[in-house]
Amino acid sequence: MKGIYYVLLLYFFLMLPPVANLMESVMIIHMHMQMTLFVIIGFLLAPALQKRFPRFFEEWNPNGIPGILLFVIVIFYWTLPRSMDEALNLWYIELFKFISLPFLAGVPLWDSWKKITASLKNGLISLFTLLFILMGWLYIWSPNQLCNNYLMIDQITLGWGFLLTAVCMIIYLAYSYITDFAKTV
Amino acid sequence: MEAIKKEYWKDKANKALGISPEDARITKSYLIVAFVAILVGGLLGLLQGMNRAGILELPVWLNYYKVLTAHGLLLVVVLSAFFTIGYFYAGLSHSLGGLLPKVRKMAWIGFWMKIFGFVLAVIPILQGDASVMYTFYPPMAAAPMFYIGLVFIVLGVWMLAFGAFINVANWRKNHKGQHIPIISFFATGVFVLLFFGSLPVAIEVFYIIPWALGWIETINVMVSRTLFWAFGHTLVNIWYMTAISAWYVFVPKIIDGRRWSDLLTRIVVIALVIMNITGGFHHQIIDPGISESVKYMHVFMSLAIGFPSLMTAYAMFAVFEKTARKKGGRGLVGWYKKLPWGDVRFLAPFIAMAAFIPAGAGGIVQSTNQLNQVAHNTMWVVGHFHLTLGMTVVMTFFGVSYWLVPYVSGRVLTKEINKLGVIQTIVWTIGMVLMSGAMHWVGLLGSPRRTSYSTYFDNATALSWDPYLFFLAIGGTLLMIGVLLQVYAVFHMMFLAPKGETEFPVADVEEDATPTPMWTERWGLWIVLMLGLVSMAYVIPLVDFIVNAPPGSPPFKTW
Repeated sequence: MKGIYYVLLLYFFLMLPPVANLMESVMIIHMHMQMTLFVIIGFLLAPALQKRFPRFFEEWNPNGIPGILLFVIVIFYWTLPRSMDEALNLWYIELFKFISLPFLAGVPLWDSWKKITASLKNGLISLFTLLFILMGWLYIWSPNQLCNNYLMIDQITLGWGFLLTAVCMIIYLAYSYITDFAKTV
Repeated sequence: MEAIKKEYWKDKANKALGISPEDARITKSYLIVAFVAILVGGLLGLLQGMNRAGILELPVWLNYYKVLTAHGLLLVVVLSAFFTIGYFYAGLSHSLGGLLPKVRKMAWIGFWMKIFGFVLAVIPILQGDASVMYTFYPPMAAAPMFYIGLVFIVLGVWMLAFGAFINVANWRKNHKGQHIPIISFFATGVFVLLFFGSLPVAIEVFYIIPWALGWIETINVMVSRTLFWAFGHTLVNIWYMTAISAWYVFVPKIIDGRRWSDLLTRIVVIALVIMNITGGFHHQIIDPGISESVKYMHVFMSLAIGFPSLMTAYAMFAVFEKTARKKGGRGLVGWYKKLPWGDVRFLAPFIAMAAFIPAGAGGIVQSTNQLNQVAHNTMWVVGHFHLTLGMTVVMTFFGVSYWLVPYVSGRVLTKEINKLGVIQTIVWTIGMVLMSGAMHWVGLLGSPRRTSYSTYFDNATALSWDPYLFFLAIGGTLLMIGVLLQVYAVFHMMFLAPKGETEFPVADVEEDATPTPMWTERWGLWIVLMLGLVSMAYVIPLVDFIVNAPPGSPPFKTW
């Protein structure tokens, strides 16, 4: 349980204004690193929350589907250019980012992942692969600036980041298709 | 009783498996090339050191930069890669029950491709058309043949990497649910890095060739440099991983101990594979075109690579202390007396490990933005990589050669050669401490690297470097004596030592060790994570360099 304090320390460290400002100064680091780190904070907090509130997770997320749905909705919201802009302009949206990504995306995904079937897992990765290709296309080839706070070059970089991540997920899907994970669990 | 029975069967299996003459020939050939490379490369190094100290004037037809390029290529590309491949192919052969016939064929094709590529690269160097140094990125341009040679070297490396993958995959197919033997696990990690690390340099070279041929007028220098260092840094860590494989797997056996933790060892390999390539950025700290915030964040990535090294340091000293105490060693540090200091197979890797303490610390210094500004273009950096490559890595290779060469040659290590090895280790240690120490110090005083001897019109500061450069030359001379002793020992063990059986000394894990979880075998996942990390690390600067590209640079011949 001592580990939970280190996680909380990391959580607060990432929210410190100089740290948050540095990470938000580059569009791709804002979306692909800062937001991912908050989701990971959720993963790290999840076991303690599961232990503290077992009934809650049993009641509200018995088969993992509600948790996955919540995760998908929250992440889809945070891939929108407007949501990033608002996080930078409005303090309460920034606060919502700090809370929603660990607690409404990280924790539900952690709780749901072991409950859902392998095909649903691959379906989820496929869904995000498609989303990432779409976002890559949007950010790279959009003729206009999509975020008020970031330059075109930031936008194109983020687009390539999306496409490259999609390529990695495709490689992973191909790998999981040809490998029997039961033997390497 | 159970343990004795287990060991008995293991010994028997090891003897029965042995190394087949065909597999031994592959390793021997690679080792011969490696040690010939160190002989020639060492001699060139001596000439360079003498010239740099102002003692020796090189003739016009053999200028400093030509010697520097050949020295770098021979030791950095030939010695290290040939040793690594020969060593790991012996490991694959031993631990996987022999190489597959088609893998053997691939090993030979790879060997000749590498040799052919090397010959192609050396011709323009000797002609004075390729004095671009080991860091062969633009805007300096060599003759096209130099780059075509490099293409063949890379293709040869890929052949070897795929040979290793095929052998490991075949073993996994026939041993479902089992862990890859530890030395083959290291080999897999090293060949994964060799393949993915050489991809960027392959792209770079394909981009340079039309430029060197004059088909395109200009080249994007920053893209080329970034691609080069993604490879250059990975190559450094490939040697390092080869060295630590010997520390983890063989050194415990040589001191009659056991491996400390199989899980920790495998995690170190996985961590190094995932995090390595992006370390290239700390070679570009003073490069323009990369914003400070991006460089700052990369410092974290570079320091993260230090973490597995700290785990290694802990594991090694845990093995030493545990083994020495079992042999009756006492006291807080008094147990060290029980270690086999007279055995070169232990002494050389031990000094190599000890050297990594200052070498690693120096590396951390250089990865730090402000300190890098002071040290970047000075002899400090040269001192650093002579301490890491010339001591930590090469001394481990030397230590390994005292059992690997007899093992593949069907001969034994004699007492005389062991003694010679101990003397060689001492000579090498003194030589490298003097040379590398002088380089570090004179670097801090401002002496530049990649520059032949100059007093800058008898400038007082430049003249004050001379005493240190003198130490550099003395160290270099001792190192040359070390090279001669080592090469003699290797060829003696290969062709003249008494025939007999030498063990391939893989240490067992502790008897009460907890079983290693099977998730460590998910190589596909580690590769995807590595690719993800590399994509994230490189996407910002590369998109910037390409989208906001300057007009580019024509080829320059500065020599």
